[in-house]
Amino acid sequence: MNNIIIGQYVPGTSFLYRMDPRSKILALIVLMASAFVINDIEVMVGMLVVVLIILKLGGIPIIRILRGLKPVLILLTFTFVFQLLFVKGETTLFDFTMSLTPINTAIMIAIITLWWLIRKKVRTRFLFTIFTAAGIMTMLSLYSPGTSFSMSTVEIYPEGLYGALYIMTRLIVIITLSTILTLTTKPTDLNLGLEKVLKPFKYIGLNAEELAMIISIALRYIPTLLDEANKIMLAQASRGVDFSEGKFKDKVMQIISLLVPMFIISFKRSDELANAMEARNFIPGKVRTRIHTLSWHTTDTYVMMFAFIMLALAIFTRTSLWTL
Amino acid sequence: MAIEFRGVNFHYKGMDQTDYHALKDINLKIEAKGEFIALIGETGSGKSTLVQHMNALVRPTSGDVTIYGVKVYKDVKKKNTKVRLNPLRQKVGLVFQFPDYQLFEETVQKDIIFGPKNFGVPEKEAIERAKDVIKLVGLDETYLERSPFNLSGGEKKRVSIAGILAMEPDILVLDEPTSGLDPKGRDSLLQLFTDIHQKLGSTVVIITHDMNIVYKYANRVLVMNQGSLVYDGTAGKLFKSKHLEEWNLDLPEIIEISRNLQEKLGIKFKETPHSIDHLYELIKEEL
Repeated sequence: MNNIIIGQYVPGTSFLYRMDPRSKILALIVLMASAFVINDIEVMVGMLVVVLIILKLGGIPIIRILRGLKPVLILLTFTFVFQLLFVKGETTLFDFTMSLTPINTAIMIAIITLWWLIRKKVRTRFLFTIFTAAGIMTMLSLYSPGTSFSMSTVEIYPEGLYGALYIMTRLIVIITLSTILTLTTKPTDLNLGLEKVLKPFKYIGLNAEELAMIISIALRYIPTLLDEANKIMLAQASRGVDFSEGKFKDKVMQIISLLVPMFIISFKRSDELANAMEARNFIPGKVRTRIHTLSWHTTDTYVMMFAFIMLALAIFTRTSLWTL
Repeated sequence: MAIEFRGVNFHYKGMDQTDYHALKDINLKIEAKGEFIALIGETGSGKSTLVQHMNALVRPTSGDVTIYGVKVYKDVKKKNTKVRLNPLRQKVGLVFQFPDYQLFEETVQKDIIFGPKNFGVPEKEAIERAKDVIKLVGLDETYLERSPFNLSGGEKKRVSIAGILAMEPDILVLDEPTSGLDPKGRDSLLQLFTDIHQKLGSTVVIITHDMNIVYKYANRVLVMNQGSLVYDGTAGKLFKSKHLEEWNLDLPEIIEISRNLQEKLGIKFKETPHSIDHLYELIKEEL
């Protein structure tokens, strides 16, 4: 519990770090828009290359981005597989028939049992599962001695393959772009930038300043509340709540014994904070000065220009001029 | 021997990932019967961390704590899968400083019987115990049906102490039981702890900042300073120590008064007074 680091910020010195959070957020929005405008797999791969160049110039190690992609790995795989299998075209790219016979069914069960036994010991469990599944499928299509009692044919169409690659590339581009933002911007700067960027929405009733205040207070209180939760756990453990040794049926009561004090303490804390803010004459919506002010540099102008050029290019690739 | 610390060190990582050395090589023995121990030391000296080791809530980074024959060390759960730490918490009852961390039930009664029920006491007996302990802590039975959240700070504190007393622990450990109480409430609670100590003979450990309490009640004093146990002995000897300033401790009022009197009047008492009456006797002898 003590190892939680809030935000993903990693200190650095490249131009991405020197940029104003406002321009970073805006450039991110524009670049994402470009990624959504592009509807061609080749152009999308080009966009991915551009993003990789930004990473290289920004001095962000690719491993950080891969780590950011890890949580969405399952989503990426599923989109890929579904696109691949279910988008139908006119001519098949290739197809293969899987048939179940008593012998290869036995082998399949043996492989699954093996997978079940050693999956806990494998570090990249998800990749391991994928490889096992692919292995079983290949085995079923290539090795089928004896009489088959069930058969199914998998057909892959070029449209499906391109679609799958296109969607995957687009997802990777979008996730990488947003990871760049969170990796190179402190949560406080991000928050301040967001506040400034959302300011024009005041006219449609969105109070950016209050929103930013809520976000920054929430960020500030995460470690405090974790600490409180730990104390509550200890206090209840000393009254016999057994978080590790207990039986399942007692778990519900245990969770209640944690949640109720947690709620009460959170409300108390927010009440105290509100009083403390009021005591220092905090008035929502009033103009306040800041200790950190944002400053727009030439780098920011260049990055914004670059982002808009990318968007223009993306739009251009969709027009008839491109196909000519 | 109820609790024995042997070479206990405890490290923890703060939110900023820096390493804190909260306990440094603690060696300590606590008997099951007859001790009234005051644990003192400035804020952040490791007092609370030390008492959390006494009922195996936290496990030492190195060294071991033996609690009623159960040896608790860093990887105790991995090395000895049969070990059950939970029963130790019934033997050594620990009352936390802030009652808000533990009160959660709709009524005071339910909250008091929560602990005993976790240790397998039948509900009926637990309710009987609740009726007893609520009186012990100086509240009456009408409180049992009230919500713990509508009580005053002092009342909450008493309810949280009642919740631990109802578990009938062998050793009672209290983290600043008198903070936030008015003088009358403080005295009545301390009277309760001395009663428990004298009538049942159980060992009581209290963390406090009040030197008057230390001097008046404790028959053994432990002083913590920056994670180390720097003093283990009687209160009388402690307040003659030269290190008081270094450990950021002050004197009990009665000793302060008698020192001032001796200085101002240029006299010397035969012994250090332990109460107002005793001081009166000493002055009378001198005049």
